[in-house]
Amino acid sequence: MEAIWLYQFRLIVIGDSTVGKSCLIRRFTEGRFAQISDPTVGVDFFSRLVEIEPGKRIKLQIWDTAGQERFRSITRAYYRNSVGGLLLFDITNRRSFQNVHEWLEETKVHVQPYQIVFVLVGHKCDLDTQRQVTRHEAEKLAAAYGMKYIETSARDAINVEKAFTDLTRDIYELVKRGEISIQEGWEGVKSGFVPNVVHSSEEVVKSDRRCLC
Amino acid sequence: MAGLEDGREWAYRVDPYGFERPDDFDYASYEAFFSRYLVVLTRRAIKWSKLLKGKNSIQKSLKDMNRTFPDNVKFRRTADPCLQQTLYNVLVAYGHHNKAVGYCQGMNFIAGYLILITKNEEESFWLLDALIGRILPDYYSPAMVGLKTDQEVLGELVKMKVPAVAELMERHGVMWTLVVSRWFICLFIDILPVETVLRIWDCLFYEGSKIIFRVALTLIKQHQAFILEATNFPDICDKFKQITKGVMGGQLD
Repeated sequence: MEAIWLYQFRLIVIGDSTVGKSCLIRRFTEGRFAQISDPTVGVDFFSRLVEIEPGKRIKLQIWDTAGQERFRSITRAYYRNSVGGLLLFDITNRRSFQNVHEWLEETKVHVQPYQIVFVLVGHKCDLDTQRQVTRHEAEKLAAAYGMKYIETSARDAINVEKAFTDLTRDIYELVKRGEISIQEGWEGVKSGFVPNVVHSSEEVVKSDRRCLC
Repeated sequence: MAGLEDGREWAYRVDPYGFERPDDFDYASYEAFFSRYLVVLTRRAIKWSKLLKGKNSIQKSLKDMNRTFPDNVKFRRTADPCLQQTLYNVLVAYGHHNKAVGYCQGMNFIAGYLILITKNEEESFWLLDALIGRILPDYYSPAMVGLKTDQEVLGELVKMKVPAVAELMERHGVMWTLVVSRWFICLFIDILPVETVLRIWDCLFYEGSKIIFRVALTLIKQHQAFILEATNFPDICDKFKQITKGVMGGQLD
């Protein structure tokens, strides 16, 4: 079976330990939520197709990373080939919000000469009663870094689709305008002109071959 | 050793595990060994009780207690006794003992297994120390140099032993850290069935870290044809996830 997709984007998901990175990705790629999730050690990989406009599909390769600081020596090797990123903090954990700046610095150093389009994600928004970070201050911080801000909940499936699709759409616009271009030796964006065999876990699959040229 | 002469009464002829000792049991050597070993045990017991008392920043980074084996009834918060507390003690004590390492995610799983097997806090601690301090140096320290080196070494070994797989990985730019990090960090916990993991650990404690390479190479070699069906990056990752989903039990003799 062949999947027809216009582009393939690589996205990376980062943020402090226990903010809910793996749960967010699992909700998005598998539609499931586990109350308790193992800590991620090293890096994990997921993928899914999204339709940004009728008939226009983007294949997302999503990198899940360990949050604990020492794993950065492994995870930072994956920044360079990512075009987009979701930077998560937990709205009930102020510390994870304060570390957003550090995460951005960390990626900036290791992604040069490329850039990652980030969206700031305030996760676990279902736990509003335990909130330690207001929406206003998160929006302000995001704006200061030129990012969008969105609040999500993997448990209640709030804004999960939107967080990924909005980011995908923004990157797509940048690619269309030529501000991000496909480059030899860089895996962030790939064109889907070459027929590719579909990953079994992807849900949108087309069996008819069609040229997109 | 006068006591030994008349010490041939019943209590002496049965070892602590309940087995009867043979007639030619060498009590003199046994006593000599034990008088030295008791010193070690006492030193460890003192060290252990000291470690449990201290408090420091390690505790703050220990957020993984309820994320360790949530499926295991003994690790549930409602369990009695609840092994989460035991796990916490072992990891905090280890953090004090080996400050250069402190706590690294992954250690929670290893300590958890040790606790399940030994059913003893202190023994788990010393076994954890043998693994992290001696058998797997620099796997869990902040720079993780040992871990990264060994993953590279595995890559080289695969080039020699299973070249077709090495070529596939290279062609699609799949880094070994992506597919084998968990194998190395968690020592095959959740990768292979528990009985298999324990058998591997027996070898690991006895023969050292080369066992990890042997197991990894065996897994890759046995599933070579399956892995080679992959034609793209996500497929390769998927294959590696599938070969270790419990289907391997009992094939690693």
